[in-house]
Amino acid sequence: MTRRVAVTGIGIVAPDGIGVPAFWDLLSNGRTATRGITFFDPAGLRSRIAAECDFDPAVHGLDAEQIARCDRYIQFALVAGEEAIRDSGLDLAVENPWRVGVSLGTAVGGTTRLEHDYVLVSDRGKRWDVDHREAGPHLHRAFSPSTLASTVAERFEARGPVQTVSTGCTSGLDAVGYAFHTIEEGRADVCITGASDSPISPITMACFDAIKATSPNNDDPAHASRPFDADRNGFVMGEGGAVLVLEELEHALARGAHVYCEISGYATFGNAYHMTGLTSEGLEMARAIEDALDQARLDGTAIDYVNAHGSGTQQNDRHETAAVKQALGAHAYDTPMSSIKSMVGHSLGAIGAIELVACALALTHQVVPPTANYETPDPECDLDYVPRVARERRLNSVLSVGSGFGGFQSAVILNLPREKTR
Amino acid sequence: MSDRITVEELAELMKKAAGVTVAPEELQQQYDSGFDALGIDSLGLLGIVGELENRYGTPMPTDAEKSKTPRQFLELVNSALLAGA
Amino acid sequence: MSEPHPRRAAVTGIGVVAPNGTSTDTFWKSTREGISVLDRVTRAGCAHLPLRVAGEVRDFDPQSAVEERYLVQTDRFTHFAMAAADQALDDARLGRPDTDAAPFSVGVVTAAGSGGGEFGQRELQQLWDKGSRFVGPYQSIAWFYAASTGQISIRYGFKGPCGVIASDEAGGLDALAHAARAVRRGTDVMVAGATEAPLAPYSMVCQLGYEELSTVEDPERAYRPFTASACGFVPAEGGAMLVVEAETSARERGAPVRATLAGHAATFTGASRWTQSREGLAEAVRGALHEAACAPEEIDVVFADALGVPEADRAEALAIADALGTHGRRVPVTAPKTAVGRGYSAAPVLDVAAAVLAMEHGLIPPTPNVFDVCHDLDLVTTRARAAELHTALVLSRGLMGSNSALVLRLGATDAS
Repeated sequence: MTRRVAVTGIGIVAPDGIGVPAFWDLLSNGRTATRGITFFDPAGLRSRIAAECDFDPAVHGLDAEQIARCDRYIQFALVAGEEAIRDSGLDLAVENPWRVGVSLGTAVGGTTRLEHDYVLVSDRGKRWDVDHREAGPHLHRAFSPSTLASTVAERFEARGPVQTVSTGCTSGLDAVGYAFHTIEEGRADVCITGASDSPISPITMACFDAIKATSPNNDDPAHASRPFDADRNGFVMGEGGAVLVLEELEHALARGAHVYCEISGYATFGNAYHMTGLTSEGLEMARAIEDALDQARLDGTAIDYVNAHGSGTQQNDRHETAAVKQALGAHAYDTPMSSIKSMVGHSLGAIGAIELVACALALTHQVVPPTANYETPDPECDLDYVPRVARERRLNSVLSVGSGFGGFQSAVILNLPREKTR
Repeated sequence: MSDRITVEELAELMKKAAGVTVAPEELQQQYDSGFDALGIDSLGLLGIVGELENRYGTPMPTDAEKSKTPRQFLELVNSALLAGA
Repeated sequence: MSEPHPRRAAVTGIGVVAPNGTSTDTFWKSTREGISVLDRVTRAGCAHLPLRVAGEVRDFDPQSAVEERYLVQTDRFTHFAMAAADQALDDARLGRPDTDAAPFSVGVVTAAGSGGGEFGQRELQQLWDKGSRFVGPYQSIAWFYAASTGQISIRYGFKGPCGVIASDEAGGLDALAHAARAVRRGTDVMVAGATEAPLAPYSMVCQLGYEELSTVEDPERAYRPFTASACGFVPAEGGAMLVVEAETSARERGAPVRATLAGHAATFTGASRWTQSREGLAEAVRGALHEAACAPEEIDVVFADALGVPEADRAEALAIADALGTHGRRVPVTAPKTAVGRGYSAAPVLDVAAAVLAMEHGLIPPTPNVFDVCHDLDLVTTRARAAELHTALVLSRGLMGSNSALVLRLGATDAS
């Protein structure tokens, strides 16, 4: 008898969307949160825009010590985690802590603090033999990516399997996928999962500048992120964190929990093609979708909505369109497919989890979030991208896909429970 | 530094920016073969363009990084350098 | 066992790039002899730092190990990973014709705890010294934790499940367990393991905040777990990659099964809460034994985590006793990592390599530099001990609070 996995709590810190109500308000109204970078002086960069969170950790209950110790991306995870646990109604004090796991993703982890302290110890890049006496007291926590899962596990006193997952831009989907398998395989009953990243920093912006992956639409930040539009010219950097509480379905039902949806399939494959390049056929992403559908015991025609990776680079959106057509066949043309990166930007490792929260909300509200800024069709991207305006639709099963550096292609399937749960 | 990029300089840039060694004579022979056949990927070409822009302090045409062959590439960047001079 | 698992995960190939050997053979010879290679740090720009002793990989020539372009395009930790993967695939006799025929049936999973630090420091220097336009295009793919998994997948054409556990030390065992589960779920082959290269100047500065780090200057005294003079751990670089394969797949292609990954479990007890790690490690051991359907008495040797912090060493000794009962006091325990240091997530993968070799040779390698054990453990010190070994237990704990245990069995299972 296979163990089924329910989503019973969600929490989020997204640009102009801190907390689930604000986040859904942004998505369902098709607003965009992209703007000129304010965190540092971006002069000299090709892309000087981003979707920033106006986030004050103190307002969200973090104390001075947590704020000092924790990098921004970990603060996001703590705040989203609080919201998700509260939302789930779980009383962790009565749960067996050895059966509670944590699986959190991040692409670039503590790089913001790593860069901050680097500037100090290197005298602004002047010396290779850096001076350790200038380093801050929490640098080692930024160095170790496991600080993310560890800090969240400590906060919620989880003692089961705890891991940080870092597969670049598929980190969020993969972290949730690992959590799903962890519960399905019986290694935990509850898993606090999701992802977080705060990559709006000089080094990370310069990184993507160097490969021209980010949009140079500096004059019109609000309309800069244009997934699937013919005039798209790169992604807009974002930041944020999302946490989902996954729970074995019977465990959730036994305590009368609200079940947002089930996670019923997850798969990831490598394209073995190029670290940043994508094929035009998207066969590996198609394979991930097919594998996830098999696990969910669903036919492709059961998919009611595709939450796209939709980064807004020329190659990604073509690749993904081809992959979805390959996997869903003619049904792809009847299936709305949208990219919330048009609104909240691309927060690297975090976005996959943010998108899964969007999927859970889409299922809850029976509303498909739109692709903002979509105006001019691209002949090579010929699916229904839900231009600019959210759409009511009967949703039972939804698919979220992601694609990342390293060639990773991941897919997650979420569906409303097939029987009434409460 | 001359105001024209030679095959020698391109070979040196390929080595520095992408880690691919091709002797200038060989590069001359493979003037019309694809960069991919020479082992230069899209990131490598971006690196070469970036290196040139930093060296000469002038932006290169955006199509330079999409050049398929050494000939195409050198013609493009040299015309840009000539126009800038 | 009454109900053998239909898709058991076997180790069919081992590749090692370690401070004491850049091939499996040289690694085993040095490990067996108990030769410590801990030494003063010699990497450029590190001499002034208060971290004096480490396990450097000095016999590794990246230019002969990987294609020239990777020297510019990737970091040292990825060079190690590629070289170790090459060895492991050779050892498993898996070539392009095998894997090209079914690319989706071969996946890659690595653990990574420090990323491409040396590469990252160079590019940070470019950015802050010269400006953002001087950051090269390969920074975007060399610094991040997923670099090695991605590069291995692409270099060999492996399209199967790709994963990266970016965890502390215990992540190395978790990555192998992840591979075993991928095999059980239907992937034929996983190339799995971990390599680290944390000995660049800025990476070393980042580690100075670890209160468990040894700053002793004498290489022979810097890392002495389970003794009264335990003074912390010594970091290392290098690591190992394994070919983890469905036993059925290995049998079909006639590849020898060196060992099976029989059971694993992971727990968490909080960063640097070493006293609590006793309970967490014992729970992980119990979980691993349960999954392996293995009685405590069947464990023939324990490869200890051996952090070298008195409180942590005591917790580990007690955890072994808690989980294995009276057998815990009799079972030989060893920590060959005192010869090479702890390469973060790579450390337990090297231990797994050593454990497979130990079982194959019927020889428990010793724990160099450790003499007067102050815990109730049968720690193998000074010289290797001959023993008939069928089952090994490998333990790992991470600085951020993870505990992990893996049970390995020698050779193929008979149950088939």
